[in-house]
Amino acid sequence: MEKFMNKLSESILDKFSMDFLRNQVLKNAYGNDDTMIAKMDPRILLVWYLYFALVPWFSDDVVFLIGCFLLVAVTTILAKVAGLVLCLFILGVFSQTGYLFLVTFLFGGDGSSVFPLLVLTVKVATVSLASITVFSGLDPDRLSNGLMWFGCPERLSFSIAYAYRILPMLMEEFQNVLLSFRLRGNPPKQTGVISKIKYLAYQIQVLIHSFYPLMLNTAKRSRTTVEALEIKGYRYAANNKIIKKMKLAQLKVQVDDLLFLVLSFLWVSIVVLISTLI
Amino acid sequence: MTQIKIENLSYSYPGSKDKVLKQIHLEIEKGEFIAIVGNNGCGKSTLCKVLNGLIPHFIPGNFEGSALIDGLDTKMVDVGILSKAVGYVYQDFENQIVRPTVLDDASYACLNYGMVDYLKKGREALSMCGLNDKEADYVFQLSGGQLHLLALAGAVALGPDILILDEPIAQLDPAHAMIIYEVLKKLNQEYNKTIIVIEHHTEYIAEYCSHVILMDAGKIKWKLPVKEAMVRVEELKRSNIYPPQVTQAAFRLKELGIYPWNKNLPITAREAVRSFCALLPEKERKKVFITKEEQNSTECIRFEQVEVTYRSVKGEAKTVFDKLNIKIHAGEHIALIGTNGAGKSTFMKLLTGLIKPKSGAVYIQGRATRKLKTEDLAREIAYVYQNPEEMFIKDSIRNDIAYAMQVRNVEQWERKTEELLEKFHLTSLAERDGRLLSGGQMRRASLAIGIALNPSILLLDEPTANLDIATRKEIMRTLTEMKEVTDTVLIATHDMQLVSEWADRIIVLSNGKVVADGSRESIFSDEMLLKKTGIQPPEIYQVAKQMNQSLECFNLEEFYDLFLEEVV
Repeated sequence: MEKFMNKLSESILDKFSMDFLRNQVLKNAYGNDDTMIAKMDPRILLVWYLYFALVPWFSDDVVFLIGCFLLVAVTTILAKVAGLVLCLFILGVFSQTGYLFLVTFLFGGDGSSVFPLLVLTVKVATVSLASITVFSGLDPDRLSNGLMWFGCPERLSFSIAYAYRILPMLMEEFQNVLLSFRLRGNPPKQTGVISKIKYLAYQIQVLIHSFYPLMLNTAKRSRTTVEALEIKGYRYAANNKIIKKMKLAQLKVQVDDLLFLVLSFLWVSIVVLISTLI
Repeated sequence: MTQIKIENLSYSYPGSKDKVLKQIHLEIEKGEFIAIVGNNGCGKSTLCKVLNGLIPHFIPGNFEGSALIDGLDTKMVDVGILSKAVGYVYQDFENQIVRPTVLDDASYACLNYGMVDYLKKGREALSMCGLNDKEADYVFQLSGGQLHLLALAGAVALGPDILILDEPIAQLDPAHAMIIYEVLKKLNQEYNKTIIVIEHHTEYIAEYCSHVILMDAGKIKWKLPVKEAMVRVEELKRSNIYPPQVTQAAFRLKELGIYPWNKNLPITAREAVRSFCALLPEKERKKVFITKEEQNSTECIRFEQVEVTYRSVKGEAKTVFDKLNIKIHAGEHIALIGTNGAGKSTFMKLLTGLIKPKSGAVYIQGRATRKLKTEDLAREIAYVYQNPEEMFIKDSIRNDIAYAMQVRNVEQWERKTEELLEKFHLTSLAERDGRLLSGGQMRRASLAIGIALNPSILLLDEPTANLDIATRKEIMRTLTEMKEVTDTVLIATHDMQLVSEWADRIIVLSNGKVVADGSRESIFSDEMLLKKTGIQPPEIYQVAKQMNQSLECFNLEEFYDLFLEEVV
């Protein structure tokens, strides 16, 4: 049994390496650019998102909520969201409301107290999945263009696209700094339970210490980036309306986008219809 | 036509009284291909930033005199207008790429300046730089050489007539370096662009450039045609610039009275072969076979059927190694060579235990890495990264060197730290943060950190990359000194001079396979192998080989010996 547990924890730790994290983040950012969601017009998707991010909060109709939940679940699957993000989603929903659900149940709560919690959980889940669909499924660059169209400042949209550009570099650097600590550090031995906790504390300490060199290295890099942005006319373009228009001219609403809206609308109508009939 | 005209230019950075540039006068004609050479810190990069207007528009400071580009005073026009006249590629070029996809980055500047046909301009620039088939790729999918070409394309897209590149090939293997220079040659000859490179590799200067500017302590010493510039051997060496090996050789032979005193020194291998051949004395050359001592030393590393795959962002996992087998004995000095992306770094990371093989096993001192943690291996193995910044995890060099010993309670770690600081000439810098040191100092510090625990196996990733030649020589000297201290050393490198002077065993990796493994004699003389893997032996080796197939010279001293009378 102990052997089995050891093996299990080893394989979980192995999976949860920096390399794995890096891969998941990259997969999420770049790996799903050929899905249906990624190809959609970002403005349409943002409007769609606005509906599913707001409306569920104001409704207590279970049928309607579950209907919405099913729809965003389908779009999440369509967006081929990376496993880690989904994992975080489940963890997030659970930590928000799910545990209350469990606790109520354990302490002898009956259906009457469980029901409102279920409604809340479905609400949170629906809104979260809608966010995941839009922010993770959409190409970062298209997302930032979409935001810009709705009047978000150029600086924000540039930051989103730029963050995705430097993310792989940062992750790799972080990995190497961590490796430096591992190659030179001397972690406590893991024998008993207490030393295992000590080991965990050590790892967290190393993670915190790693940020300092990472920040300094990034600061060093950014000198070139700032100069390069100046040369590439970033500042010039930021204050120029015509150029903003040129950037947004790439956005085009296509038949697929409208079809997506119509189908979503139809589905919601059907759900509303069913809920009124019941 | 005079394209760049600098008159009486002096400049100091804000908050500093020291003048980085002192009374510079310079004229550059359209269509020239210029190399700027000089010591680290002599003002080369600063001069180039004056040309694209970053100084004084973006970086203020004390600016005197004037710089005219196509008749425009850089002080009067803004950076935007200048960037359409002067393109700039940084030494740390990956930081100047700001967009996630290739075409997007190449056309970004054109978009920002409101050019309606920005995508067309970006595509044209990509095809000029040989990246037309990468248009839709994400930036992180490109190799180091391709990234550099992309940075170049981003500059070319605006259609400037002048291109400035700060040390374009510092991080590249010879095959990729050649691609960069061929692209520059095309831009220079077909598109009539003026090219200015800051460059330490004089072999490339001799081959590609038309003129050379020598800078020293903020002044321009001279600007000369490349043929006249490269033969000023002594003057260049005083500024820590080493002319091509063939030029150095001819210069020495002239001193010895062997090379005719009235004949010009050669600067490229082609010229050299002809003039040296005539001088070669007829003498009996016994081929010296160095009989290798029997390998009876103990084995310290063994790869057994190692298979490694990487998770890829899209689709199938990528196989780096497939059934790799290799044995390394204690005390060997091994050079690991191969093109960028051949698997050298993966090889080293397998040894640190950071990457575990998917199947097969790596044994270090008889123990399989699969069962060990990286921390447990640290006693046996030290790994010095290609990028020293990532090794500085404390706030000063002293603390960085001490860290590993301190946390292990090594006896007398304070004294040992002082000794290491002394040994690597770092005592005066001990309190500084590693990141703020110069390239050579950073490298020395990273070596000191690496050997602090006295490891039996030392792994060095590109220890001479990104350094000017003088600093490189210094690091090579340090490595030779370290031969006595360290036991087994493995260096991954593109630097063939380092390989031929230092290594006693060479392992050639290509596409994740060991394609050759042996002495420098056997590797460098295998022409099929060289062609296949793009390895280029040192220039002097190639010249000797072309003079006579049976000649092998691994350094200049051996080359001089060919011409000397028999000395007993």
